[in-house]
Amino acid sequence: MTLEKLSLDSDRAYPPRESEFTKAFWSELGQGRWRTTRCTRCHRQTFPPKPVCPHCWSTDVEWTELGTRGTLYSWTRIHAAPAVFVAEAPYACGIVDLDGGIRLACRVVERDDIPLKVGQPVEMVVLQFRDGPLFAARPCA
Amino acid sequence: MTRRVALIGTSAIPIGRHQTADEEALQVLEHEIMTRLVSEAVRDAGVSKEDIQSLVFTLPRPYTRQKYFHTFLMGQLRLACRGSVMEVMGNGMTAALAFDKACDEILLGRADVALALGINMESAVSAAEHMMSSMRTTGDVDFHTSAGFTPIAWYAMDATRYMHEHGATREQLGSVAVKNRHHASLNPLAQYRKPITLEEVISQRPIVEPLGLYDVPPRGDGAACLVLASEEVARTLGRPYALVRGRGFFHDGSHQISDVPNDMIAFESARRAAATAYEQARITAMDIDVAELYAPCTIVEVLVSEAVGLVSRGQGARAALEGETRLGGRIPISTSGGLTSRGHPAYVTSLYNYVELAEQLRGRAGERQVSNACLGLATGELGNYNAALVHVLEAKA
Repeated sequence: MTLEKLSLDSDRAYPPRESEFTKAFWSELGQGRWRTTRCTRCHRQTFPPKPVCPHCWSTDVEWTELGTRGTLYSWTRIHAAPAVFVAEAPYACGIVDLDGGIRLACRVVERDDIPLKVGQPVEMVVLQFRDGPLFAARPCA
Repeated sequence: MTRRVALIGTSAIPIGRHQTADEEALQVLEHEIMTRLVSEAVRDAGVSKEDIQSLVFTLPRPYTRQKYFHTFLMGQLRLACRGSVMEVMGNGMTAALAFDKACDEILLGRADVALALGINMESAVSAAEHMMSSMRTTGDVDFHTSAGFTPIAWYAMDATRYMHEHGATREQLGSVAVKNRHHASLNPLAQYRKPITLEEVISQRPIVEPLGLYDVPPRGDGAACLVLASEEVARTLGRPYALVRGRGFFHDGSHQISDVPNDMIAFESARRAAATAYEQARITAMDIDVAELYAPCTIVEVLVSEAVGLVSRGQGARAALEGETRLGGRIPISTSGGLTSRGHPAYVTSLYNYVELAEQLRGRAGERQVSNACLGLATGELGNYNAALVHVLEAKA
């Protein structure tokens, strides 16, 4: 299952660095694939993806699918932004509990018809900037 | 016999705008402020230059032109030492760590008198520019900063969650700011001293929703110096001092956010660090008379006060509105004015919290004096209280 891609006519304000290890995540995200690492020894997923399992420190990890939907654990709308984000402000960010048990923090794409609230179901989407992708959550029915 | 540490002297400049912009003809120099403060604190303590054998500095901001500030200052003071001289860094916990490591120097027997000191200058750098650096201090610089998170955005999400779980209102949170401004109006070291009303707090522009301008810390410059000594030395001086009775630290093994869902607003590290400190001091939270919390936003004061047991869970915001945490209330919190009004020069903020405890526990807080203040609590933190450092101090006459 792939994530919906929303195209933006700009570059990312503060692009993430990519390593030999994380470039797989970002290039797959650009294809709408939403994956992270899971430890082959203790079988726990982690996010962001990591080459060493934070739980048991095993270095044997594999790429697995992440939940594409979840609920909003909390959110904020940022009005006072760092210089590179000023043009985007105000913008919403939130914490999402994904189906499958991972908690993450990301940008939230607002919808006029669904106000942001704690417990709101959300779906993960790809923000396809000119220079690369970011992941975000968007309220859904 | 186990050694114990006493806080015997303090000095600080009023928090405010001290840093000069590069283009100004006359510059404010950090070391000139700091050498005066050392001289003042040592006089307050009643010790002499030769007694000082260790100095723990907070790391200056990158805007401070003089590098290796700590050893530069040793030269300015011609201070020879056999203990340790260093700068420490732990983001928001920096100044609490400076205090803690200076305590260690005494506990280890490397020094009988040690200084914890530092200066934080940043106000001439615009907020938007400063955030270009501070946004890299919280969360994952690749996976979170790219989304536009700022340090206080995490606290804002605490507020959203807290209001959802406990039905707390903006008015209740805002009352923390009103209360702390009242305290600050009585504190000559405070940055903002003009009293404010709840209506004014609620009507400020949003910064990170649901928090407005008066719910979040102002930016400012500050510098302070603390003189610590072994209890043996403190006893010989014949002056009141504050004895460090308990110390607790806990890091929850996450940075900003746990990818394993937890109760984010329980501030578990603060709870556990406080439990350790109370146990060492052989007290409970009920015994604390005054608390100086590291709480950059109104919501943080609420959550920390609950986590360390000063108010019950879900009741912190209500307690502020009803005056329980105000001077004269059941448990006065942030009598200095707190980070929102006393000010928050981040790397030295906790130094000011210890200064306030020293004033309270030595009976020198003037109009802010908590009557019969015997036990004081201070906290420091990292991230969203992913780590906490807690000290309990006791008044000794």
